[in-house]
Formats: sequence, C-alpha cells, structure tokens
Amino acid sequence: MGNRLGRYGVWVLVAIVGAVCWGMLALARGETVNAGWLLFAAIASYAIAYRFYARFIQTRVLETDDSRATPAERLNNGRDFEPMDRRVLFGHHFAAIAGAGPLVGPVLAAQMGFLPGTVWIIVGVILAGAVQDMTTLFFSLRRDGKSLGQMAREEIGVIGGAAALIAVLSIMVILLAVLALVVVLALAASPWGSFSLAMTIPIALLMGVYLRFLRPGRVLEISLIGVTLLILAIFGGGWISESSAYADAWTFTPNQLVLALVIYGFVASVLPVWLLLAPRDYLSTFMKIGTILLLAVGIAITLPPMHMPRFTEFAFNGQGPVFAGALFPFVFIIIACGALSGFHSLIASGTTPKLIQKESQVRVIGYGAMLMESFVAVMAMIAATTLDPGVYFAMNANPVLLGDTVQSASQAVNGFGFSVSPETLQQTANAVGEDTIIGRTGGAPTLAVGISQIFSSVIGGTALQAFWYHFAIMFEALFILTTVDAGTRVGRFMIQDLVGNVWRPFGRTSWLPANLVASALIVAAWGYFLYAGVNDPLGGINQLFPLFGIANQLLAAVALTVGTTILIKMGRLRYAWVTALPLAWDAAVTLTASYQKIFSTDPAIGFFAQRAAAVQSIEAGKLNDTLKALKAESIQDAHQILVNTTVDGILSILFAAMIIIVILDAARVWFGIIRGTKEPELSETPWQESRLDSEGNEIEREPVGARS
Amino acid sequence: MTTLLKPFRYAWEYLKEISGENAYDRYLQVHTATHPEKPPMSRGEFYRHRQDEKYNNPGSRCPC
Repeated sequence: MGNRLGRYGVWVLVAIVGAVCWGMLALARGETVNAGWLLFAAIASYAIAYRFYARFIQTRVLETDDSRATPAERLNNGRDFEPMDRRVLFGHHFAAIAGAGPLVGPVLAAQMGFLPGTVWIIVGVILAGAVQDMTTLFFSLRRDGKSLGQMAREEIGVIGGAAALIAVLSIMVILLAVLALVVVLALAASPWGSFSLAMTIPIALLMGVYLRFLRPGRVLEISLIGVTLLILAIFGGGWISESSAYADAWTFTPNQLVLALVIYGFVASVLPVWLLLAPRDYLSTFMKIGTILLLAVGIAITLPPMHMPRFTEFAFNGQGPVFAGALFPFVFIIIACGALSGFHSLIASGTTPKLIQKESQVRVIGYGAMLMESFVAVMAMIAATTLDPGVYFAMNANPVLLGDTVQSASQAVNGFGFSVSPETLQQTANAVGEDTIIGRTGGAPTLAVGISQIFSSVIGGTALQAFWYHFAIMFEALFILTTVDAGTRVGRFMIQDLVGNVWRPFGRTSWLPANLVASALIVAAWGYFLYAGVNDPLGGINQLFPLFGIANQLLAAVALTVGTTILIKMGRLRYAWVTALPLAWDAAVTLTASYQKIFSTDPAIGFFAQRAAAVQSIEAGKLNDTLKALKAESIQDAHQILVNTTVDGILSILFAAMIIIVILDAARVWFGIIRGTKEPELSETPWQESRLDSEGNEIEREPVGARS
Repeated sequence: MTTLLKPFRYAWEYLKEISGENAYDRYLQVHTATHPEKPPMSRGEFYRHRQDEKYNNPGSRCPC
C-alpha cells in the first residue's frame, strides 16, 4: 500500500503543480503573466501525458511486444538497418523532426494572444501530434520500415496511396516557398544578416572537402571548426554593416534575394551531397540543438514576463493584421508543426523504424521526441510574447498597413488597439543593429528580437544584443536553407520516381539530364510561389502560411487515417478512438479552414472573394473599394492578386478534395471490416523471436541476433 | 577526479554516437561477423553510402 502511495504520490504532486500553473496562466490578474508559469505548465502536462497516456497507448492500444525482433535486429546490416541505442536514436529522431516550423508558427499565432496558441501546442501534442508520431512509428516498425505512402496503399487502397504521394509533393513545394519567404523577409535590407548567411556557404564547402578527403567521418572536430567560423562570420557581418563601403554591396532587395535563393536552390540540389548539403546539415543541426538549449536555459534563468494579453480581439473577429481568420480554425492551422505535423509521419515511417531496438521504445522515441518539439514551440511562443505587443504588431502586421516610417507604423499599431511610440520602434531597431524593424514579417525577426532580449539579459547585456539578434537570424536562416537544399533534392527524387514509372530512363538518379530537368521543375515550382509571395500586394506570408498549414495538416490526416485503419484491422476497434478522435478534429479544422479559404465572402480570408474583387477592378479599369480596403495600390496589383488568388484557391480546393477522398476511401474499409463483409488483411511481418537483451541493456551494442 | 569527469566523458561518447563517428567501426564489426568472406567498404565508401541514403529519402528529415 505504502509503496503504491509513493509511486503515485509524486504524480499527484506533478498534477497539482501543473494545475496551479495552468490556473495562473488562465486567471492571474495584472498586466503581465510570468513565462515561468507557462514553462512549468507545459513540463507538468508533458510529464503526466508521457507517464500515463503514452503508456496506455503503448501497453493497451498497440500492445508492444519486446520479445518480438524488430527490423533493426532481423535485417541488421550495420548500415540502414541496425539496432541503435535508444538515447542516440532519440537524438537522431528529434534532430530529424525539428525544423523551422515550430519556431515560426507560434510567433504568427501570438497575434491572438498567448493563450489560444499555447493551449493548442500543449493539448494538441499530447492528444494528436505525439500520438500520430508514435503510432505511425509503431506500424511502420511492424512492416519493416515501410513508408507512409506504401502503408496507405496496402492498408487502404490505391487511392489512399496516391493521395499520400500528392500530399507529400505539394506540401514540399508550398513549404519550401514559405520557408524561403521567411529567409527573404528576414534578410531584405539587412547587410549584416545577408553577409553572415552568405559566409555559411564557403564554411560548408570547407567542411565538405575536409570530411570527404582529409578525415572522412570525423564530424565532431570539423563541426567545431565550422561553428567557430560561423560565429566569426556573425561578428564580420556587424563590421560590414557599419562600414559604408561594404554595407551597400551587401544590401539586397527582396527580389534580388529571391533570384539568389532560386539559383542557389538549383545549384545545391545538383551538386554532390558531400560538398554542400551534408556539411551544412551538420552545422545547422548543431546550431539548432545548441540554440534551443541556450533558449531553454535563458528562459529558465530570466523568467521574463509575457506582455501580450491572453486573448486579443483578433482571436474572435478574425481581422488580425498578421493573418486573417478567427481562432477556430486558424490557430490550429498556423501553429502547425509544434502540435501536430503530418510531415513527421514520413520520418516516423522512414529512417527511424529501421534503427529501433525494441518495440516498447516507440514510446520514448515517437511520443517523447514530439513532446520536445512541442516544447520548442512553447519557447518560441514565450520569446514572441515577451516583446512589447506594440513592437510585435509593428514587426508582424502586413507591411502595407504599416507604411514605411516609424510614425506611420506607430499610428497603424494604435489603430489595432495597441500602442507603441515611434521612439521605441527606432530604439528597438538600433538595439539589434538594424535600420528598421517595421513590417519585418515572417516570424524569424520577431523571434530573433525576443531571443536577443532573453540572451542579452543573461550574457553580454545591451552590448551583445545586436550580436544575439543576428545569431538568431543566422541560425534560423541557416537551417531553413539546409531545408531548401534537402527539400529540393527530395522533391527532385520524387519527380524522377513518378515520371520513371512512365518513362524508365528518367527515373535513373544518376542520369544528369533527368537530374537537371527534375531539379529545375521543383525549383521553378517553389520559386514561383516564393516570387508571388514576395510580390504579393497584400503581403505574402499571410496568404501562403495558411496554405502550408493546411497542407501539413492534410498529411497528418492521411497518417491518422492509416493508423485508424490498422487499429481496426488489428481487432482493436475499441481503442480506435486514440487515432480516430484526433483525425476527426484534424479533418474538422482543415476542412473548415479550406471552406473559409474557398467560400468566405470576406475578401481578407476568401481567395475567391478576393479574386472577384480583382476581376471587377480590372474590368472597371480602376480599383474597387474592396481592394482599396485591402490596401492594393494600382491596377497592376489587381492583376497580381488575380493570378495569386486563382492559384491559391485551386490549391485549397485540391487539398480539401484529397482529405475527403482519403477519409471516405478508408471509411469504406473500416465499415466493411466492422460489418464483417471484408476480411481484415494485415500486412505485418510475421513474429520472430528477439535474441537481443531486453530493454534497458544499454551496453548491448553487439548484434547478438545476427549470427548464432 | 574520474567521477568528476564522468559526465563529460559520457557527453563526449554520446556526441560521437550521435554524429555518426562510431558508425563505421560498428559497421565493420557487423560485417566481419556476418559476411567474413566479402571485403568491407572503406571508411570513405561507407560514409558516402550513408549520405546518399540520407539525402535521397523524404523520410529522413522534416523540412518543417
């Protein structure tokens, strides 16, 4: 008895701490709420979810079986299949799922106040995101590491499989465009940022040559050299931005940066991996993990107050200047990767299942790593909401609303119902070593200002604030560029694979003409959206980011549908709600958002309402009131709006149609099995006994089961 | 003194594992155990193979 009390007593305590923290977040009086409450509310919630809910999924829903040999053990070849220590694999898996998404989404969602975004980040990960990652990982593990697309085809049908493939390709294109847009917006008119980011290319080349020819596989020593050079490059950028001779040469307009990125993306995806992509990936992974750790320590030490209110009126009226649309469904779309990310199901069904030692480890790796990712999103939310809300809106509101000067921006912010003086805006810009911070949308600059304030209050004070700002910008831009490289490359392979089904030679990845054509296609696709986003008269990020969010949630719907189907086939109908409920919620969110994007008569939200206004203006030869209200300036803008809204609108229809098709196709399978008209055919690999020592044997590095 | 250094040694080992520095040694072990008749890949070949595997596969890195 006493033992039992001891075992659960600590959890009662954790629950109380969590409840108190949540209570403070929701109810505390006063101007500001301390970020510490949020930090501990998150940690307590994660701990309870991991201990109880993830365990329930592991033991009751999935019934993991540690006596069953995993693919890593059965197919061990020391290369792609290999039992890996769970802590090492956790690191790999986390590095693979953590990208720029959870840093950008929460910053944009902060316009509705800190609470809606935070609640979804924490509740969403516990009930949806981590569940998706864990179940997909498990199901792929039982199928020798098959990909999500293959599982969709085998478990649901050809249609489900095709939808998964189209979803992956389209999400890739939109995503690359959105991320590249974030980089462009962060670097435009910033010689400091442009210089230090450009320097990452020669640094990566140096590392690549070192790893290829001098000392293959010696990643740590060269990464250390790389990071040191990177820090020097940031200081170098500060020097460049102050010297009048070089500052101009390193100042670029958004369109110049678009061109540079498109050329870069093409070249990087054709170059051999070892030369640029792989070394950059090491560099950005170390920078990423390092910065996230620093941020966690910084927040824990400073415990900054959050100045953003719990809710702003934009949560309810849908008129937010950062992106349009009300709390439901758009918070759930915008937060994206920090709570539920469809793309993770590709990682969970890609490399990771081939390396797992024991089935029960899907809990720590699938569920646990996703909790970490969510924690990163919580920190991004904290960094954004510790800013003065006036500064936040002056940075993030659609630039056409703000005007070019600190005075006009200050007035515009007053119009949103917040206040900030022109002097404060100028001081904030000066403190981070930039000419202006007005209309620096895209999330990255806001996060960087937040990070620089937190870091500089721990190390260096105001003297180092500009350094920390550019450190944060560089770290975000660096791993976004790595993503652009890697994503373009993967997109290229997918196109080659697709076309290769029809015309064989094109599928050969070693054939240079096919490489060039496929790369050019992918780069042209995201380059188009990037260009359209940069030149969007209504502001690109607020048009494109929701589309990306919808695409990502669509992929999550595919993964959760596959999961539900497999659970039903395994005879676990009574537990199918574990994936079916998040699926229902995800479908409701995505379809509502798509519906509003397609049918809303509010031209700030609906693509076709905007399009109609543009058509009317073009026919009349002058801007109508609707477009004027959206701050379009000329008839040329109307033409641009016409093209953009047509493309975006069609994409929205496509995404919505795909979700409906996948779910209907799967429902046919579900009800067939439930009614008994269909045989539940599982494509699991047959059971085979594991010869590896049971879980917890960390020294067990030898592949005991390989040969006896 | 050795107990003081322990966490650092642990961290160093962890970094070596996670960065793949040890991967080749382990591959050699598995290879000699399972296919002693075939010559193993060289260090350079091994890392090249790993890289290609990693970057040609959409399931190896989340862009978001």
